[in-house]
Amino acid sequence: MFEMFEYDFMQRAFVAGLFIAVLASISGTFIVLKRYSLMSETLAHSALVGVAVGLVAGYNPLWVAVVVAILSAWLIEYLRSSFSLYSDAILSIILSGSLALAVIIVSLGGAFNNSLFSYLFGSILSVTDEDVITIVIFGSLALALLLMFSKELYFIAYDEEVAQTSGIRVKLLNFLLVTVVAIIIALSIRVVGSLLIGALMVIPTAAALQYRVGFRNTMLISLFFALSSVIFGMTLSYYFSLPSGATIVLSVIAFFVISLVVNKK
Amino acid sequence: MQLKFKVPIFDVKNLSFSVRGQDILSKISLEIYNGEYVAIIGPNGGGKTTLIRMLLGLEKPTSGEVRLFGKKLKNFNEWHKIGFVPQRASHVDANFPATVEDIVNMGRVAKRGVFTGFSKEDSQMVHDAMKKMDIVQLKDKMVGTLSGGQRQRTMIARALASSPEILILDEPNTGVDAVSQQRFYKLLSKLNKEENITIVFITHDVGVIADDIGRLFTINQKATICNNPKEALSCEDMTELYGIEAHLLHNHKHEH
Repeated sequence: MFEMFEYDFMQRAFVAGLFIAVLASISGTFIVLKRYSLMSETLAHSALVGVAVGLVAGYNPLWVAVVVAILSAWLIEYLRSSFSLYSDAILSIILSGSLALAVIIVSLGGAFNNSLFSYLFGSILSVTDEDVITIVIFGSLALALLLMFSKELYFIAYDEEVAQTSGIRVKLLNFLLVTVVAIIIALSIRVVGSLLIGALMVIPTAAALQYRVGFRNTMLISLFFALSSVIFGMTLSYYFSLPSGATIVLSVIAFFVISLVVNKK
Repeated sequence: MQLKFKVPIFDVKNLSFSVRGQDILSKISLEIYNGEYVAIIGPNGGGKTTLIRMLLGLEKPTSGEVRLFGKKLKNFNEWHKIGFVPQRASHVDANFPATVEDIVNMGRVAKRGVFTGFSKEDSQMVHDAMKKMDIVQLKDKMVGTLSGGQRQRTMIARALASSPEILILDEPNTGVDAVSQQRFYKLLSKLNKEENITIVFITHDVGVIADDIGRLFTINQKATICNNPKEALSCEDMTELYGIEAHLLHNHKHEH
């Protein structure tokens, strides 16, 4: 099975994929505990607007996706904290609005082609050296921020108001978290695809929560599931010529189902 | 009178709060000093929780001013001096991945600098807080599996871990059985007397007012301050506060 590593594109895909698994599962733990699961879906669709702009205007789609996803995350957080709107309604409006905008941009630019398809569902063939470098640089930064503030973010996820009255800068850290998540999502769409990255963020944690263990162990289990899913998923993608995002997501769902069954009361 | 020369922990002046023109609290003025044991009572919907939320900066008052340790709220940054246990603490999400120790550790998070890890001092403070609340043996248990009383003590241990000067508890007895309540009041009293921690607790249940409470604030839109709770809890006061006949409670108080 190791013959697949003889190809440069597989090596690139694995480096990018494993890095993304680490980023998605660790940030996903906070996202799930904060009940922000739908946020990852929304940001993934916003990132697609960036991809569309990039494809049409000839910039690196990944870079534009990072910028647009961050702007979208800030808009969501601003709307959530400044207006009395239901947060899932805000997310749903921005999700569909982004998708509509992305489709229009791509249609007008005449770029509705295979390249967009790979951004929707992920493709191990499409990961370039430049992508790997972008993922590693931005990803390391995002990971460092997450780990630096993990205790604060955990406290906020547990109880935002108590965290605030303990002197934690909740608003700032919430902005930081959504920014980091936006970066991670935008980076991930090459390998996992924008329609499927939400799953890689949410499902490993949802599966890990079934084991009813403390915070640290929940995060470690989630990390294990995400890494294993990426390895299985990319291997399946290689041998059966399937979109990598789809095989990764089905693998992680398999872990989720196993966790549910094993921990059934 | 000696108290007057000290800076109060909470100094509240003419605090009012209204939502869409409807007064929830009007012109509340009160002071809470170091070492006090204060109870805030009043009916549900009387504004007790709103008052506490304003004191902690979670809600903006319509008018009036709050000072914490002599500083205006917006300039105050020594939050570790305040331990807050909110009402919903007893309704922990059963699936939240946290052991008792994870929760108590949270009490040290804000005190720690960004680039520093958990120090020996942090672990010691966490251990001490758990010991005071008698939950050391539960440290690896998931919070979702605890009883009401154990959960309550865990939440207080979290607040104690930052070595606060004041502990504010909002309806701490929700979902706690009678035996645990007794034990709880003993603990509060001990913290107040032995550790000199100022205690403020809020309840809608007049029957639970412990004997060692120093002052009592009754809140129902307006505040009344009683410096001697046992005498002040007269039948008329209670009837006015709750809007119901209160003679049973009155008799109950005199039995002690």
